[in-house]
Order: sequence, then structure tokens, then C-alpha cells
Amino acid sequence: MYRFLGKHTSLRAWLLLLPAALWLFVFFVAPLFIVLAYSFLERGTYGGVVWSFTLENFQRVFDPLYFNTFLRSFYIAGVTTLITLILGFPLAGYIATRPAARRGTLVLALMIPFWTNFLIRTYAWLTLLRTNTGLINVTLLSLGLIKEPLSLFGNDFAIILGLVYGWLPDMVLPIFAALDRLDPALIEAARDLYASETKVFWRVIWPLSLPGVVAGSMLVFIPSLGAFVTPAILGGGKSLMIGNIISNQFLAAHDWPFGSALSFVMMTVMLAATLIYFRVTSGKERRQL
Amino acid sequence: MSVNAARLSRRSRAAWLKKRVAQTLFSTYGIGAYLFLYLPIVVLVLFSFNDSRSTAQWAGFTTRWYVEMANDRQIILSLWNSVFVAVVSTAISTVIGTLAAMAMERYRFSGKLMMDAVLYLPIIIPDIAMAIMLLIFFNLSGIGFKPWEVLFFGVRLKVPFSVIIGHVAFNISFVAVVVRARLAQMDMTLEEAAGDLYADPWRTFWRVTFPMMLPGILGGALMAFTLSLDDFVITFFTSGAGFNTLPVRVFSMIKKGVTPKINAVSTMMLLFSLLLVGISITLSKGGDSESSIDRAV
Amino acid sequence: MAYEYAVELRDVTKRFGPVVAVDDVTLSIQQGKFYSLLGPSGCGKTTTLRMIAGFEVPSEGEVVIGGEVQGHLPPYQRPVNTVFQNYALFPHMTVAQNIAFGLEMRKIPRGEIRRRVGEMLELVHLSGMEKRRPTQLSGGQQQRVALARALVNRPKVLLLDEPLGALDLKLRQAMQLELKALQEQVGITFIYVTHDQGEALTMSDKIAVMNQGRVLQLGSPEEIYENPVNRFVADFIGETNFIPVEIKGDGETPVVGIGAEAVRAVWAKDALPVGRSAVLSIRPEKIALRRPGAEEAGAGRACISGRVVNLMYLGTDTRYVVRIADDVEVVVRMQNVSSAAHFFRIGETVELTWDPQHGRVMDVV
Repeated sequence: MYRFLGKHTSLRAWLLLLPAALWLFVFFVAPLFIVLAYSFLERGTYGGVVWSFTLENFQRVFDPLYFNTFLRSFYIAGVTTLITLILGFPLAGYIATRPAARRGTLVLALMIPFWTNFLIRTYAWLTLLRTNTGLINVTLLSLGLIKEPLSLFGNDFAIILGLVYGWLPDMVLPIFAALDRLDPALIEAARDLYASETKVFWRVIWPLSLPGVVAGSMLVFIPSLGAFVTPAILGGGKSLMIGNIISNQFLAAHDWPFGSALSFVMMTVMLAATLIYFRVTSGKERRQL
Repeated sequence: MSVNAARLSRRSRAAWLKKRVAQTLFSTYGIGAYLFLYLPIVVLVLFSFNDSRSTAQWAGFTTRWYVEMANDRQIILSLWNSVFVAVVSTAISTVIGTLAAMAMERYRFSGKLMMDAVLYLPIIIPDIAMAIMLLIFFNLSGIGFKPWEVLFFGVRLKVPFSVIIGHVAFNISFVAVVVRARLAQMDMTLEEAAGDLYADPWRTFWRVTFPMMLPGILGGALMAFTLSLDDFVITFFTSGAGFNTLPVRVFSMIKKGVTPKINAVSTMMLLFSLLLVGISITLSKGGDSESSIDRAV
Repeated sequence: MAYEYAVELRDVTKRFGPVVAVDDVTLSIQQGKFYSLLGPSGCGKTTTLRMIAGFEVPSEGEVVIGGEVQGHLPPYQRPVNTVFQNYALFPHMTVAQNIAFGLEMRKIPRGEIRRRVGEMLELVHLSGMEKRRPTQLSGGQQQRVALARALVNRPKVLLLDEPLGALDLKLRQAMQLELKALQEQVGITFIYVTHDQGEALTMSDKIAVMNQGRVLQLGSPEEIYENPVNRFVADFIGETNFIPVEIKGDGETPVVGIGAEAVRAVWAKDALPVGRSAVLSIRPEKIALRRPGAEEAGAGRACISGRVVNLMYLGTDTRYVVRIADDVEVVVRMQNVSSAAHFFRIGETVELTWDPQHGRVMDVV
């Protein structure tokens, strides 16, 4: 193979990598280890830290007060992933079965929300869901369909709705990519071999789109678990997720070591999920998406 | 016709009906899903023209919220801050990320696996984690919060270095991924052909490799620009007091209460995003077969 | 078998938007025979097959399988199975799972599935491969799996859509013989779609030649080759000469004029009116060459003269190009059976003779 730079490839590769490596080691890897270090320190009186070793921060992570929020965040992220999957799979199928000319437009129509600001998309739901002044309640009340405003806001429902709305395209796109690559002849073959629509789905379409499903679920689950903006806006200060607890340690409680420990546990969980993903899918499958 | 004709035709009609019903349901669902994606945005834009403080009851058409937005010096300043941070961080991360992509895609070297992990991590970990990492780092090291005073299109800005450093840190990874995808698709025999036609490696790079990489580089830059403009969390945590980009400004406005003015700012940001989408489509059309999917994931 | 015809198409038309893919096709396919749908790409043969399978529904007309009108019945309710062009093997299943799929869908007991899959693997010479994935097989092996997966269901009709197209020439020829033998062994009706006339001639009991959505001729390979009904069929199958002629007589063996000369011939299909321009189709191997004034031609043989302009020695035979008029050249193939007396040189004047039964008069188009 011809290479645009000749010998000493290792040296040359590192020369090309030098700026990126420097930047990321100083401004990403080093901070990562500092967070790890901080999580074993005691909190200082006015924010900051006292340099003495303790495991107390990690013990506090399992304090029901915080651990319940952890579990709730898992629950919310899990439900969000499940709902985006249930909504997203048929949508991906819908796009994949349209004529080629319209497929491009439909994918683009999916990309536009993807490219627009997450904060704004969350805010849009705020204006719809708020209890007394949200569009949905105001409209339903004025139409006389309800007597009391529905509680659509400041709860798990609002957070999950916001997250589903925000991350639906991330679920649909990889599944669509998998479905798009599916040879239609395989579906015809299954139908020819006496498989009903349901059987065709579970025996052929589903297993062959599984890499897309797994990728999409990762793309939805991880940011949902670490959500900060959605609970901050749609949770109405009442319904919180782990991201808000972490940010509170830095912005309000000034307990940096505990905040570090929380975020460290969160990152570990996510990395574990990612590693499992890389284990169960081959490199080839991932590249296809 | 056979004796079984009647029985068979009944089965056939049932099959036909089932198919039609399924198709209709499927199409309805598809349209419904797109409505779900777009209706909130449409409502948001609609109420930016509402002649009332309410974002729920229509009271007539007005553009006064846009006038208010234009006269709000805080908003205008944060807009300039956003653009400046995006431009600078995109420029830096595009160069650095492209070089990294070339190294990662074209060489085998010791430490490659580690570099792979270091490049992927900023994409994988949630922004809140990256934000507090950077917050601690800048506090501990004491670097970064010093503002960069600069005259940008005639506007005097004070931009903390920490924000730009943070944006570059996550953008490098995204640029590297996009450019790598492009490099991986490239036909290596074209470089061999150039070598065969007497081009030395240097000229091969500039005459063949680079032009072919360019759509990927521009795609990566556009992605970095969009991510930087849209970022709220990392900016929020790394800016220190008194510095706002547009999303940070919008967040604090939302926290104070909902007004159609926020809808107006949002609409402006939406239009900007649409513009960027338009540019990216033009780029990918001029460029190559790289599908929208490749850029999305 | 209870019913004479395995498949009947009655006035079947299929439109895709403004495009007519299949145009008023009526075809009856007998039980237990090997049928080929032969034609160039885009002639509607694959669409016809897909309508029998149930992947497409006719715009007009009826598909009848085993005497039962199929209408909108989906593929999984039809007693036919398909071998797909690129096999369409399920990549996430093993060979055995692929073959068992149809039986499983029909809820055949496990033990019987195992037995029938085993039999099938043996039939297509793939015993021992059951645990492999399709991607681990060669093209020929994949082909056999596809065949086994369809045949194991004991369909009334097996539909094959250019199943040998992806194989190299040698494997193809071997598989042609194998397929034919297999069909005779299992006795199932095969409907085989191909654009390869050699393939169709080798394997089929009956060939339906299609073009532009229509069936032009249905017949045995010999009938199609020896008695093509029109110019397209004559041209598509084998090599032939089209000599421009003018019709000078009627009756069963009309006289046609070639330039100044006149010969007897037969109608390819319908009689044409006197005075009309037409073409005379004669296969190259039906024509004999001789030196002028040599021994008498057989009684009643047609005879015209010409000049050898080119020749090509091909081993078993020699291919001559003979000019019979200013812009009319005829190809003649003569077997190299005996002495050098049979060889003609370029520039030599010769006489061409043939049995008038082999000269078929047809429309110019």
C-alpha cells in the first residue's frame, strides 16, 4: 500500500497526532484523573477540597437519598430508551419502505430536529406542558374537555416525554440504516416459505436489524442517563435526575468531592454499557451504521 | 372456474383487505410521527408572533418580540459570543482533528488503541461529566478563566479561554470521526496512481488526497460549528460568572419565566440551524456518496 | 395428479404506473414438467414469475395454481416456492436453519423437520455442512442451499429466477445438468426464468419465449428452434439468416423471390399477401454449399448462387459468409466430415441449396 509519508510511520503518526494528543491529554485525560482523585478527598469549607484520603464520598453515593435518584435516572433512561425504540422502529420501517426519492427527504426531515438546539426543543415542550399556562392545558380547559389542569409538567412524565422527543432521531437513524441495508429478497424469501407478517418480522427483520437497534439504544440511553437540561427545564425543580444532583454539588452545595464521586460512578456505568456494546457487536456491524 | 373458487376468493379478499388496512395504518403512523417531531417547533415559532405575553392563547400577530430581542443588548452580546466561540473552536478543532484522523486511519503505530479510546471518550461521556471535569481542572490549575479581550466585527468581547478550550476538546473528536469516515471510504489506488504518474508524496497529498478529503473536512467543520453553537452544558460550567453564549442566555431566561421573547430568540436560532443544514446538504451533494446517515451517527 | 395444469395464467396483465410489464399473457403449464420463461432483460419474465409466487398481484387477469384462483393471496398462502436470483439465504441462520425455515413456519413436528432437512442435504450433496453460515459457502453451495430450502417444502410448483446467473460458466453447466436431473427425480413442476437460450434449450421440456411483456411462442426446444414463429424468436434462439424476399405465390409452400431468383418456402406462422416484402429465415447449418455444375441437388431443394467472401475454420465445422446479392450475405455452416473437396475458397462462386421446409417466411419486423 502506498502511503503519503514514507518510513518511520510510528513517528510520523505521532507527529500528526501531537496537537490532538496534547490537547486531549491536558484538557480531557488530566481532568478525568483529577475528578477521580477528587472523589477520594474531603470537602473544603468554602468549596474546594482538603487533601486527605477518604472513601466517604462513595459511601454517600449509596445513601438512599442519592441512590434513589440514581435508580430513578436509570428508570427514566430505560423507559425513554424503550419508548424511543417502540416509536422509532416503525418510523424507521416507514421511511425504509417509502420510494427511494421520498426516503431522502424523510431522512432529512429527521435530521433537521437533530441539528437544532436541544435546549430550544426542550423549551418548546415547556410552553406546551406547563400546568396553568401551557398550551395543552389551556386549550383543553377552554374547550371544556377537562375541569382541572392535567399534571403534565414537573414530573417523570414530562422528563421522559422531553427525552423521547429529543433523542428519537438518534434511535431511528441507525435502525433505518440497518433496514435500508436489508435485502428485500430476504423478506420475500421468508414470505415464500410460509412466514406470516408477524413471523417475517420476528424471524428475519428483527434479528437482522438488531445491530441498528443496539446502536440506537446506546445513543439514546447514555445521554438520557446523563441528562441535565431536560430535568432542569421540564422537571420543574421537583423531579431530578443524577445530572442535576451532580451539578448541584458544584453550583449550590459546594461539595466537589462528592460531585466528583457521583459523576465518576455515572461515567463508569456508561463506559461499562459501551464496552458491552462493543463486545456484543462486531466491528463490521458497527461500521455499517 | 373450479369448485373452490368461492372459498378461495373469500380468502383472497381477506388478504387484500388486511394488506390495505396495514398499509394505511403504517402510513398514518409515519405521518403522525413526523407531526410529533414538528408540531412543538411549529407552535414555538407561531407564538413568537403572539401579541400577548402568553405562549398558550393566540392574541393576534405582532413582531414586537423580535424588536425587543434586537434591542436587548445582553442577547445581542451573547449572540456575538456564541459566534466567536464557534468560529475559533471550529478552526482549531478542524485542523487538529483532521491531522488526528489522518494518523488514525492511515498508520499502524504503538499506542493507537489508547489514542482511539481518548478520541472516542469525549463523544461517549455525557456533557455534564465533561463539564464538571473541566470546571475542576480550570479551578485547580487557575488557567483559563482569564478572558480573551477581542474586537470581533466591531464588537468588544471578553471570552474566557476556558470556554474555547472546552469546546475544542469535544469538537476534536467529532471532526476526527467524520474525517476518518471519509478517509476510510477513499480509494487508495488513486494515491497509488498519482505515485505511478510521477507525483512525489507531497504533491500526491495536495493534488489527490487532500481534495478528496475536503468534503469530509468541511463536514467535520460544520458539525463542530453546530455543536459549538448549540452547546449549553459545557459553556455553562466552564465560563465562570458574567459570560453568556446564546444558549446560556436562553437557559437563564427560561429559568426566569416563559415569554414570547424566548420564542423569538429560539426562532432565530432555528433559522440559523436550518441554514447550516442547507449548507451541509449542498456540501454533501457536491462531495460524494456519503449518505446523510454517515454524518448523523 | 388431480389437475392437468400446475399453473395457468389467464389474460394476465401487470402495469407499474404507465409501464406495461406483462401484457395479456395466457399460459398453461402442465404438471411435472420443466418450463422455461426465456427472454431478454425487461421482457416481463421475472414479473410473471413474481405474480405466480404472489409477490405481485396482476393488474388484470388471473393466476391459477392447481386449479385454484389465487387473487390477492399472499406468498405464504400459496403452494409454490421460489429460488431467488441471489439466493436470499438468511445470513443470520445456519444452512440447516435456512432449510428448516419453511417447515417450521408450517408447524411441522420437529422430528420430521430434522428428517426432511437431512434428506434434502443429502439430495443436494451438502451433508455435513448443516452448521455453516451461508457466508461460509461457495456460490455453488449457496445455490444448492437455496434449492433445498425451497424443495424441502414439496411445493406444487418450484419457481426459479435466474438461479445460475451468479455462477461461473463451468459450474453453471454442471448445475444445469444437476437441476434437470433433480427435477426428473422429484417430479415437481419447475418454472425457470432465464435470459440464456442455451440454458433454456438444455433443460426445458417447454420454453415460453417472451418479449415486451408478451409470450411470443410456447413449445418444446426443438419446436422453438426449428419452427420459430417470428423474427424475434428466430433471432433470439440460435443463429439464423434473414434474407429479404418478396412474396410471389401463396398456398402452403409459397414461392418467394430473392433478387432475380425464386425459391419455395413455408410460412412461419400466418400466410402473407402476394407482393409483400418479407424475410426468409434459414439456420446456417440447414444450407449446403456446392460448386456450380457439380452433382445434382436433391429433388425439390431450393437453390441460389453466391460468392464466398469470408470463411472461418472452427474445427467440427467451417463457417462461410456467402454474398448472394450486393448487400445480402448469408452465413453457412458446413460440417467438416470428409475430404478437402468440401472446402471452398474466398472469392469462389458457389451454389447454396436447402430443403424448402427449412426456409421460413415471416414478417420483416
